[in-house]
Amino acid sequence: MVMKWFGCPLVLVLGLLGANPVFAADYQTHLGPMPLDDESKSVIAGGGDATASYEGGALTVKGAFQGLSSNATEAHLFLSPAIGVEGKKVLDLSVTRGTDGTVSGSFKLTRTQAEALKTGRLYIQIDSEKAPDVPWGPKGTLWGWLLPAHEMAGQDVPQEGHWFIPQLDVPSH
Amino acid sequence: MRRKTALLLTAALVAAGGAFAQQAPGPFTPAQVEAGRAAFAESCASCHQADLSGGTDALPLAGSGFMSAWKTRSTAQLYKKIHDTMPANAPGSLDDATYADLSAFILHANGAKAGGKAFTPTTDVQIGSIANGTVPADVSHPAETAPTEASTAAHPSPTEQMNVPGRFVVNEKPGLLVEGHIQNYAPVTDATLTHPADGDWPMFRRNYQGWSYSPLNQVTAGNVANLQLKWMWSLNDGGTTEITPIVHDGIMFLSASSNTVEAMNAKTGELLWENRLGPNPRSAAPGGSTEETRSLGLYGNNVFVATPQADLYALDARSGKVVWKTHLTDTPRLGGNTGGVMVIHGKVLTGLTECGRKGSPDHCYISAYDAATGKRDWKFTTVALTGQPGGDSWGGLPDNDREGAETWIAGTYDPELNTTYWGTAQAKPWRRDLRGSGNGDTDYANSTVALDPDTGKLKWWFNHAPGESLDLDEVFERVLIDHGDQKTLMTIGKPGILWKLDRVTGKFLDAKQTLFQNVYSGFDMKTGKPIYREDIIDQKVDQWLASCPGPEGGHDWPATSYNQPTDTLIIPLSQSCVFMLGNGSQVYYEMPGTGGNMGRLSAYRTVDMKPLWSFQQRSPFLTAVLSTAGGVAFIGDFDRMFRAVDVQNGKTLWTTRLGTTVQGYPVSFSVDGKQYIAVTTGLGGGSPELKPGTMLTNVHRPANGQAVFVFGLPAVR
Repeated sequence: MVMKWFGCPLVLVLGLLGANPVFAADYQTHLGPMPLDDESKSVIAGGGDATASYEGGALTVKGAFQGLSSNATEAHLFLSPAIGVEGKKVLDLSVTRGTDGTVSGSFKLTRTQAEALKTGRLYIQIDSEKAPDVPWGPKGTLWGWLLPAHEMAGQDVPQEGHWFIPQLDVPSH
Repeated sequence: MRRKTALLLTAALVAAGGAFAQQAPGPFTPAQVEAGRAAFAESCASCHQADLSGGTDALPLAGSGFMSAWKTRSTAQLYKKIHDTMPANAPGSLDDATYADLSAFILHANGAKAGGKAFTPTTDVQIGSIANGTVPADVSHPAETAPTEASTAAHPSPTEQMNVPGRFVVNEKPGLLVEGHIQNYAPVTDATLTHPADGDWPMFRRNYQGWSYSPLNQVTAGNVANLQLKWMWSLNDGGTTEITPIVHDGIMFLSASSNTVEAMNAKTGELLWENRLGPNPRSAAPGGSTEETRSLGLYGNNVFVATPQADLYALDARSGKVVWKTHLTDTPRLGGNTGGVMVIHGKVLTGLTECGRKGSPDHCYISAYDAATGKRDWKFTTVALTGQPGGDSWGGLPDNDREGAETWIAGTYDPELNTTYWGTAQAKPWRRDLRGSGNGDTDYANSTVALDPDTGKLKWWFNHAPGESLDLDEVFERVLIDHGDQKTLMTIGKPGILWKLDRVTGKFLDAKQTLFQNVYSGFDMKTGKPIYREDIIDQKVDQWLASCPGPEGGHDWPATSYNQPTDTLIIPLSQSCVFMLGNGSQVYYEMPGTGGNMGRLSAYRTVDMKPLWSFQQRSPFLTAVLSTAGGVAFIGDFDRMFRAVDVQNGKTLWTTRLGTTVQGYPVSFSVDGKQYIAVTTGLGGGSPELKPGTMLTNVHRPANGQAVFVFGLPAVR
């Protein structure tokens, strides 16, 4: 029996969310620094959070970021081949041109983009003025994959029974 | 002799220059090369190796592995990279001239020709225009052309050292610094090891089954909040500390930097003896991932120590005197050891690291030595060679090119089955595009191997990650758990898959994903064979590949604990991802779905692999888990916190903040009827230290402060 990692107990998770709707958004992400090393970490820095709702074929993204080491310049949605793997730019987002600010956008998704959203393969990326050209590829500052809304217990707060693991809780494509 | 050495080195430099006479001179001088060579030996070689070939968590700095990453980049970028990131555990701590010298030496090591112009931080030349990756003999074979007094030069006398401003000085020479006179020591026997006394912790994971579980129950969920410090002992600075304090008969045995082995009164913290086996560290800065010792062994009246230099010692547990010493390989200075030892039937079993040289018959192996004499009894080579079972799994690679499968965690043992179980690390080079083994499974790398401890004969093996390609080891602890008549072996590796095998046959029974991973796109639940992501199978040499988790794990050397009364396996996990290049270059990022939390502690019921509880925190855990019959589990982290949690639900019951990173293997023991908890603070190491060191920019800790701390309940009045 070959099992795909992605997508096993989604029904269970959605069922739980449906029974006790904690989240207004359908998707959420933490915006963290893009790949960095000791040399680049001073300019690839900051953090944030974003949520997204998907209704009637339209996606609405809202988020906030802070702590960039230079002003944000642009933001986009990217489509990746797998969660955590860099992808290709597909849609433009609006972003505050500052070190702190907001990111947002509303779009009608294509079937491919909708499928990517459903399977956790759409991610937000924010670029900034000092984001360096790096030999490893994707140039930018913050990124985060939009994953189905899930409970995030506070630090050191145990979760019992089931906790969110993307490849188990996101449908496969 | 030094004059002769200088002539040899000059000749080597001239020869190197002659070989590339057509090349323009590089922007550095011969004097800078020599100064850089010395600085490299002092600050870099312990990780990157003397021949710059790279090691675990350290990139190759010479040859194709270096040039593939650097030929299109500039010398100024090289300088900045070294300056901003090295030494790994103390970036920027050298002076600018030394960084320039190091840059010059690395360029020389890649075939660049020295000239008359000195290298400076602003020297800006494309590296591919002056270097071609041809490694000169004085670099590729440093033992043959380097100064015969190199070791002396690297370790001048304290007086000589003190004359060099800023030089790290170790005041003590190696040797038996404090001789012990322990009376009435209780010799350790096979029976002692098979059924340890409740108050003892006589081996790495306390029992042969690898549980890291103490049957002591004075410290409970109800009173753990009353724990108080009973004593502490500072360990040497420099090097890497990940040691397990071994406790027998009221005596604690430790090994620290400089291979300083110490016996302490476990109740009072009084030093009983100290033997500094050496060599001393070359730097006060924390060490790399090849400098630690994780476990000691006891048998008879001896304590056994395998050093990172691959020397195996028997010391008299009563005095600290050396009883015998042997080298783990037949070639002096070859090999390493970080996992330490275990003792079965009067044999000292140990693994090997820094082994297997491409194009040579050297391979990694597990070997056994007579505890009384040090004579080698057997060795088991951990790569399958032509004609052996699994020998056809290396894509036709010649035997001499089958590298890797290091064993850097000590094994476990089932006395009833008379079988010892060891995990092996991945084949090398990590990336299959460089390894040349195609899509072969590369047995017995990244496998569980089951051996007869009396002969070293292979009983079975199970390959957890066939053809592994991203430095995702499956080398860690093998935990032996029975459920009725079912004898299982559980283990978890860097990809975070919790495995359950039948330890009689090696048959795959079950697997559970414990955190996010994107290396495998699927999994055959019948055979236990993972299916790789497509771009990993089709990887190209110059391609950066995403890997979640990265080489930090998932799960790494901070080991699990099996709390036997509750059938709960408690697992420290780390959550980070990398982009990795074929030469091992890595950059790091947060793992999706974690909220930027690098640490996770999760508990599973082993009979049915049911998830029980889990929590996350910003800093990763850097100790093993210790659990006790009192229903408490202990664990320490990168951010100096030592914590007790309730085994039933994971809730934190007690915390204390120590001087620096809490790193090592906590243990529990009793003396005179009182239970104690011991843990070390430690620094140095590979990915589990390096990744958070880079990513957690808001976490600060001292770069010294290695120590052992012992806690207990207040005295009852």
